[in-house]
Amino acid sequence: MPWLIGTALIHSLAATEKRGLFKSWTVLLAIFAFSLSLLGTFLVRSGVLTSVHAFATDPERGMFILVFLFLVVGGSLGLYAVRAPAVSSRVSFAWVSRESLLLCNNVVFLVAALTVLFGTLFPLIVDALGMGKVSVGPPYFNAVFVPLMALLVPVMGLGPVSRWKRDAVSRWRGELLIPAIVAVLCAITLPLLHAPYNLWVALAVLLSSWLLLGLAKDFWQRLRSASGAANGLRRLTPAYCGMVVAHLGFAACVIGIVATSQYSVEHDLKMNPGDTRELAGYEFRFVEVAQVRGPNFVADEARFEVTRNGEWVADMNPQKRRYLASGSVMTEAAINAGLFRDLYVAMGEPVGSDGAWAMRLHYKPLVRWMWLGAILMAVGAFTAAADKRYRRQREVARADSKVALHGA
Amino acid sequence: MGPRLKLFLPLFLFALLAILLFRGLFLDPSEMPSALIDRPLPAFDLPALGDDRLLTRADLTGEVALLNVWATWCVSCRVEHPYLKQLADTGIPIYGLNYKDSDAAAQQWLADLGNPYRLNIADREGTLGVDLGVYGAPETYLLDASGVVRYRHVGVVDEGVWRTVLEPLYLELKQGESTP
Amino acid sequence: MTVLRHLLLSVFLLLASHAQALIETYDFSSPELEARYQQLSEELRCPKCQNQNIADSNAPIAQDLRKLLHQQLEAGASDAEILDFMVARYGEFVRYRPSFGGTTLWLWLAPVLLLIAAIGVVAAALRSRSAANRESTALSAEEQARLQRLLDKTEQDT
Repeated sequence: MPWLIGTALIHSLAATEKRGLFKSWTVLLAIFAFSLSLLGTFLVRSGVLTSVHAFATDPERGMFILVFLFLVVGGSLGLYAVRAPAVSSRVSFAWVSRESLLLCNNVVFLVAALTVLFGTLFPLIVDALGMGKVSVGPPYFNAVFVPLMALLVPVMGLGPVSRWKRDAVSRWRGELLIPAIVAVLCAITLPLLHAPYNLWVALAVLLSSWLLLGLAKDFWQRLRSASGAANGLRRLTPAYCGMVVAHLGFAACVIGIVATSQYSVEHDLKMNPGDTRELAGYEFRFVEVAQVRGPNFVADEARFEVTRNGEWVADMNPQKRRYLASGSVMTEAAINAGLFRDLYVAMGEPVGSDGAWAMRLHYKPLVRWMWLGAILMAVGAFTAAADKRYRRQREVARADSKVALHGA
Repeated sequence: MGPRLKLFLPLFLFALLAILLFRGLFLDPSEMPSALIDRPLPAFDLPALGDDRLLTRADLTGEVALLNVWATWCVSCRVEHPYLKQLADTGIPIYGLNYKDSDAAAQQWLADLGNPYRLNIADREGTLGVDLGVYGAPETYLLDASGVVRYRHVGVVDEGVWRTVLEPLYLELKQGESTP
Repeated sequence: MTVLRHLLLSVFLLLASHAQALIETYDFSSPELEARYQQLSEELRCPKCQNQNIADSNAPIAQDLRKLLHQQLEAGASDAEILDFMVARYGEFVRYRPSFGGTTLWLWLAPVLLLIAAIGVVAAALRSRSAANRESTALSAEEQARLQRLLDKTEQDT
C-alpha cells in the first residue's frame, strides 16, 4: 500500500513542483504514505491478521505499536487539519490538461491503495462485528487490482505528450493517432505468435504498446526540437528520464505479468529415469538420479537434460537435500532463467519401488520481465527524485529574496 | 460541512480505523467456529473400533454429549487424554472419533491409557472427519440430545477449557433437555 | 510482511511456486481438469495453517483436501459444487476468493464505489476551484506585462 500511495505522491509532487498545484493534497499523500507503512508494521507485528504469534495472550507489543501509530499519524493528520489552509494554492487549469491526467493517476492509485487496505482489514471488520470468519486472498486482490491498473494505462500514454494548464483533444488526436493505430496492430498480431490466441495477452499488448509508443513519440520530439540529438539528450532533465524509465518498467511489468499468468505451464508428474516429457515445446529428459554430498548435506540429485527441437538447452539438476545437522529435508529446485522464459524443475518424493520420482516441471514465459519492470520503476523513481530541480528551487528562492531586497 | 471541518475528515477516519485495530487486538484469528454449528451431525455409516458393528448417527443421539476427535499420531491427544478420563468418570458421555488411524494402534492406546469413550467410531479414511470439517486433532464437539452440533473446541480440552467454555454450555443444554 | 506479501502475491501472481509443498502426482483424465485443479487448489485456504492455500501447504489437512479435490474433479463436480462442499464443512473461511453476496458484497463493490466517489470529489473540487478562480485570479495589465518579461527571461535561461 505505501508503494501505491508513494507512486501517487511522485505524480502529485510533479504538479506541485512545476505548477504550484495540489499543495495540501500532496502533503496529505505524504502523510498517507508514511502512515500506511506504519500500519503495515502494526498489522504484521501485532498478529491481528494472522495468528503466528498467538497474540490473544500477549497484546502488549501490539498495543505499543498501536499507541505509537495513533500518536504519529493522529498528530500529523491533526496538524494537517489545522494548518492545511496555509499551503492552499489558487492556480487554475483546464479540464483537458496534464494536471487532469495527473489527477487521474492520483485517483486510481488512491482507490487501489484504499481497496487493498479495505480488503486486508475486511476479515478483521467482519470478525469485530461478529459476523463470522471470511478470507480475502490473492484471487480477490488480483480481480480488483488488475482492472484498476488497466484503467491507468490509457492515461499514461497521454501523459507525456500532454501540456500543462491547457491542452486540446484535437492536438492529442493529432499526436497520438499513429501510435494508437500501431498499438492496435501490435495487439492483433503479436499474440498470434503463441497459439491459441489469448485475448488477455492481446489487451496487455495493446495497453503496453500504446504506452511505449506515446513515450517514444514524445522522446523523439524532444530530441528533434533541439539542435542535434546529443544536444537534445543533454537537455533532458533527470525527472524526465526517470519518468521514461519508470513507465518503460510499467509496460514491461504488464506484459510480464499477463504472459506469465496466461502462458505458464506446470505439471506434476511421475517420471522414471530415462523418461522424456514435453512441456511448452521443451523436452525434459530425466537421465538419472545420483547421490551427491555437499558441505553439510547429502542429496539425491536428478539429472535432467532439456532440449528444444533436438537442440540442447540446459542441464538441470534439482536436488532433494537432507541437512546433516538438523536432519531437515529441503527441496532445491533447478532454475534455468532466460529473458523470454524461465524453466523450473523440482524434485518430489520417490514413487513406488521401481525408481520413479514425483517431479514438478514448470515453464514460465517472460517472468523476468516482471522483475525487470519492477527494477526499472524503482530506478525511475529514484532518478526523478534525484533531480537537482528540487535542490535548485531553494537556491532560486534565495536568489529571489535577494532580488527583492535589491529592489526595495 | 464547512471547508475547515472537511480537513478533519482524514483524522476522523483514522480514529475509526484505530478503534477497529484496537478491537482487533483482542480477537483471536486462529479461533474458528465450526461451519456446522446448530446443524445436525452429518450422517455416517462407520464401523466401531474393536468390533465391526456399524455405527450411525442414531448411536450418538439421546443425550447431551461430547464427541472427541483423536488419533494415536496426535501428540496433544495424549495430553488431553487423562482429563477426558476424569470427565468420563464424572458421568459425562464422551464419544470418540478415531481419526485416520490404525485400529490396532488405537486399541493398544486405549488398553494402555484407559478408555474414556462410550463408543469409538473408526474413521480410517477420515471421511466423517471431512464432513465434520475437522482440520486437526484434537477437536471436541458438543452435541445436544437430538444430535445437533452446538459448539466446537479446537485443541486440548483441559480443566480451564472445560470450566470456562464447555461446562456452562453443557449444563445449559442439559437444562433445556430436562425441561422441554 | 503479510500486507506486502498479499500485494506481491496479487501482482506477481503465480510467481511463488509451491516450493515447499509436497509434489503429488495425480492422474487427470484431461488437461482442463488439471488446470481447474491448480486453480482451485490455489483458491482454497488451508483451514489449519491459516495463511496458505492448500496448494502450498504441507499440513495433513491440505493433503487430504487436495486428494478430495482431485476425486471430486474426476467425479465430474463443477467448481461451484466443490466450493459449496468445502464451505459447508469448513466455512466461508476456506474461500480465498470471497463469494459475491451477503457481507462480502461490500468487498466487491468497494473498489467501484470508491472510484465513483473519488471521481465525484475531484470533479466537485475542480468545479468550485475554477469558479472561485474566475473571480479572483485575473491578472491586471501590469502583472500581465511583468509575467511576460519573466517568461521571456526563463525562455532564455533554459
